Formats: sequence, structure tokens, C-alpha cells
Amino acid sequence: MTAFLINWLASAPTNAVPYALAALGLIISERAGVLNLTAEGLMLVGALAGIGTCLTLGGYPAVALVVAMVAASVVSLLFAGLVVVLRVNQVIAGLSIVFFCQGLTGLIGTIANWQNKQVAGLGHLAIWPLSEIPVIGRIFFMQDAVAYLTILIFFAVNWWLSSTLTGLRTRSVGENPAAADAAGISVSWYRVLAIVLGSSLIGLAGGYISVVNVKLWVTDMTGGRGWIAVALVVFARWAPWPALAGALLFGCIEAIIPHIAAAGIRVPQYLMMMTPYLATIAVMMWVGATQRTGTSEPGALGQPHVREERR
Amino acid sequence: MHDVSALSPESRTNVKPNPTHFRLVLDVRQSLPAWKQALFLAGSLAVGLAISVAILAVAGISPIQLGSELIGVFNADSLRAVLVQAAPLMLVGLGASIAFRIGFWNLGLEGQMLFGGIFAAAVSIYQIGPPETRLLLMGVASAIGGALWCLLAGFLKINFRVNEIIATLLLNYVAVYFLFHLLYGAWQDARSAFPQSTPFKPFERLSDLGFGINSGLLVSVAAITAAAWLVHFSRVGFYMRVISANRSMAKVVGVPIQTVTLWIVAISGACAGIAGFVNVASQEGRLTQSFANGYVFSGVLIAFLSRNDPIAVAVVGFLIAVLFITGQTLQVFYQIPFTMVQLIEAIIVMSVASSEFFVRHRVRWIR
Repeated sequence: MTAFLINWLASAPTNAVPYALAALGLIISERAGVLNLTAEGLMLVGALAGIGTCLTLGGYPAVALVVAMVAASVVSLLFAGLVVVLRVNQVIAGLSIVFFCQGLTGLIGTIANWQNKQVAGLGHLAIWPLSEIPVIGRIFFMQDAVAYLTILIFFAVNWWLSSTLTGLRTRSVGENPAAADAAGISVSWYRVLAIVLGSSLIGLAGGYISVVNVKLWVTDMTGGRGWIAVALVVFARWAPWPALAGALLFGCIEAIIPHIAAAGIRVPQYLMMMTPYLATIAVMMWVGATQRTGTSEPGALGQPHVREERR
Repeated sequence: MHDVSALSPESRTNVKPNPTHFRLVLDVRQSLPAWKQALFLAGSLAVGLAISVAILAVAGISPIQLGSELIGVFNADSLRAVLVQAAPLMLVGLGASIAFRIGFWNLGLEGQMLFGGIFAAAVSIYQIGPPETRLLLMGVASAIGGALWCLLAGFLKINFRVNEIIATLLLNYVAVYFLFHLLYGAWQDARSAFPQSTPFKPFERLSDLGFGINSGLLVSVAAITAAAWLVHFSRVGFYMRVISANRSMAKVVGVPIQTVTLWIVAISGACAGIAGFVNVASQEGRLTQSFANGYVFSGVLIAFLSRNDPIAVAVVGFLIAVLFITGQTLQVFYQIPFTMVQLIEAIIVMSVASSEFFVRHRVRWIR
């Protein structure tokens, strides 16, 4: 039983990292007032870019993760152009980007023949004296580098959003773009930058899934994790640390599925695989039942800012 | 010491307009004649298709090959396939457009199709009812299946304020795994190595009516007619217009918002469920693993391009069916993955959505 628990909890962070990074990326762009549904698609772009780099260079997972970030940022420029410059409905634009990315990654991955090719990936990093502590060492101090990096990223983004001038301006653009505009802040630029910055984290999340976690690529491999990240943002009330907590919860849920089968407990396999989605819906129900509407949502979420239409 | 230079005339020179400096000015248009709007729409469609053709060219299909494949669609055999394919697409587009009319983002069309197919297959597998009414019963069951799966999201939205975009999308995955659970388990055809149910009997399948018209198409045309009446002439349609125009006003004047929303959600799901039935009972002839693949965004696209009008749904649905059949041809003969269809659909939606910016705004370069 103890072995089961340790195995399960030790593999939870690996499953939690994509949720955490994607949700954080979404939080950045939604704090700037852009309703962002693109996570599922941009994670696919990151996943494909990461595996493509690994296969082309023959290794170098760190480079692959950076390429994944850049690729997702580049695609997110398209989304930024649609919603910030052309003021397209943000739901329609977000959905189009997701299905655009699904089509694009399926096409490129198949033509380049990157399907089902194993890569070496990233090894676990033992933080030496601490990793020797019995139970805790395995769970907390024997993870891969990106898992530790994720914690640092959370500190950095939290500090940026709450304590720096640009962070405060980004939030003001999301709360009241007309007032921010009157104060001389360029709403468009802050929104574009928030989208691109957030999308780089979403790309990292996708690259992490393919390069570090699964270590190969198949079509549509993110399997709805992007949508779960969108739900996590609502659950976290647009704040970074609760998003990390929610990501760990979903990491635990996702990690238990293979361990239950491995422990020889007979549960219908496909019904088991529904749990992350059902858990997400349950969490959303809990949020809806306990939270008053619109209390923590950025004030201008989903609304395009058109100075010429200001009333 | 004050900085006096800030007040000096020289510092104002940078405020003066530079004669060679152009800038973009945006005006909000008050109105635009219909023909100009149509022109913008046509232009944006052309741009979207041009980008798609360019991507296909990069993927290894020259525009000439593509053109011959497209013309090839209009021979008798392919046209029949297009008409068969058009039936589920019209129904899915109808389901999406009805829900979008009252601002309910039903993105669970795939899950509702799957449950429609599962309910229809259940009627066939458990042999409910006499053979004469079996097909009708399968159709009714599929509508109930789709409606229930969609009502679940509606219930979550009304009672727990769960965003329906997230709820419907996540329920798609749940439905897919439920289908897998059946097809890799109790419902798998014992004589088949593939995850699929036993084939339906001949009287459980939608028959061909001749002239290349499948009875599935009749079902979808009937649904479109009924929806056109509902949306344009019935009391519910009037309520829907009031709700989408001004929700709080509708509440004040006593429109039963909740009841109308739930009914529309159920109808939307039922349309998608029937689409699932049409697919399994005409094209596939049995419950298969992937009979609802690629329908979510097709539904969104059809609803978006038809501006949620049922009659326009029929036209756009037919065009998307041509795209589907072309995509299948490219998959078979050129090994282009079928997700290509989704890519083209997304490009078209993006370009058409962008064109609305130019309909609403006038962009000018001024000096």
C-alpha cells in the first residue's frame, strides 16, 4: 500500500506540470482581458514542435522545449491579430485556432513522419541530500528539471502580475481598458504581449507532454488537457497559486489511472479514463455552487477594446 | 531649476504632423449596402480558400490536381456520396445554429452524435419493437439520446453556472470513452477483430430512394423545414429573438427564459443525435469507433457561415459535404490526413470572421 502511494504521488508532478503551465499561460492572457480558449491547440503545436526538434537534432530536449515555446508564441500571434487588431469574437477566434492547430499539427506530423517515434526525453534530477529522505525524497526531490522550473515560473509570474509596473498595467488593461487607454497605456500592445507571453508557457506545457512525459508524438495527443486548463483558470479565480494547487489535484487524478491498472485492481479501463473530465465538471459545479458570479473575473474579459466605439 | 526647454517652441516641433508620415485611421461605419457586405464576404472567402490551396500545395498537391479532384466530385457516384454526407452535416449545423441563436455555445455536437448513435444501436442490438417500426424507433431513440446528453450541459449551466463551452467540450471526451467502453466490451461484434458492433439488419438501415438520394437526406430536409418554421414563425422563435436581443428585457416582460433555453438545448442536442443515427444507419451500417470525428467544428462552421439561418444551413452543409468528400479522396489517393478538412474549415472561419471588421469599420491611410 505504501509503495502504491509513493509510486502514485511521485508520478503526480509530471502529470501536473502541463496543467499548471497551461493554466498559468491562460491566466496571463485573461488577466489582460482576452478570453483565451486556444490552450488545447497551442499545446498541440508545442508538442509537435518539441518532438520535431528532438527527432531532427537527435536529442537536446532543452532546445526542444524552447522551440515549443517559440512555436506556440508564433501561432498565438495569429490569435492576437484576430482578437486584438480585428476584434473578432474571442470565442470564435479561440475555437478556430484550436481546430486550426489540430489540423496543422496532424498534417505536418504525418507528412514529416514524426508519428510514434520514441525520443530520449529528460531525465529525473535528484537534489542530492534531500532526495535520500525516505518517502518525501522520492516525491518532492526526484522530479525532472522542468517541474522545478515550473515552481520558479509561478513565483516569477506572480511577482510580475502583482508587483511590477508592467504587470499592473496588464491587469488594468484587463479590468478597464477604457480607463487604461485614457491613462496612456496601449491596450492593444499589452494584450498582444500578454497573449504571446502566456502562449509561450502553453507551448512549454505541450512540449513537456510530448518530450518529457510521453516521449513520443501522436495526433491529438493532448486529449482535452487544454480544455481542463481553461476550467482550471475559472477554478483558480484567475490567480496563479490556486491554479498550481488545482493542477496538482488533476495531476494526482491523472497519475492514479495507470497505477490502479498496474496494482491489479480490475476497473473498466475506458470508464477510468473518463475521470479527469468528470472531475473537471465536478470542480466546475463546486465553483458554481460556492462562488458568486463575476467577483474575481477580470472586468473586461472577452470584450474587445475599440477606442473609436467608446461611449 | 525648472526645465524651461519643455515650454520652448522648438520642443513642439515633434508634435507637428510630418508630411511623409502616414497613419491608419479607423472609422466606425454607420451602415454598409448589402452588395458591399456580400463583396467583403466573397473576398474573405476567396482569401481563405487561397490560403488553403497554398497549404495544400506545400503539402504536395498542386492546384491543378486539386482542381481535377474537385471537378471529379461532380460525377454521379461522388455526388451521391456528397448527398449522403450532407445529411449529417446539415443536421449538425442545424443543431449548432439553433443553440447559437440563444447564445448557448453547444460544442458537444460530437458527444451528442455519439449518444444518438449509441441509443439507435441499442434499439437495434436489443431488438426493441417489431421490424416494421424499428427504424423509426431508432430515430426517436437517437434524438432522445442526443437531447439528454445536451440537456446535461444545459442543466449544469442553469443550476451550477458551469460554462457550457467547457462542459460540452469535456462531455465529448466522456462520450468517446463511453463508446470505447461499449465497442471494446459488451457490444463488440464477436466475428470482428475491430472495435465495432454487429452490422444492422437491412430493415434497420436508411435506404436509398433512387436518384442518389438517401432517406437520411429526407430526414435532414424535414428537420430543416421544421426548424425554419420554429425559428421564423413560431412563438418560441419569437421568444428566442427577444432573448438574444436583450436578455434582461426578456426577463422583465415575462419571457420564460429558462424553459425556452432548456427546450432549445434539447432540440439542438436532438438534431446532433439524429445526425449520429443518420451516420450509423446509412454510411457505416453499424456502430463504429469514429463515426462522429470532425463534426464539432463542422457544425460551428456551418452555423457561423449560415448566420444561424436554417435554410442557409442546408446550402452551407452541402458545400461542406463537398469539402468532406474531397478530403476523403485526398486521404485515399494522396495520404493527406483527414484533419486537413478541419484546417481548411478553421482558415475559412478565421477569414470570414475577420471580414466583419471591414464591414463594421472603414480603414483609411491619412497623412
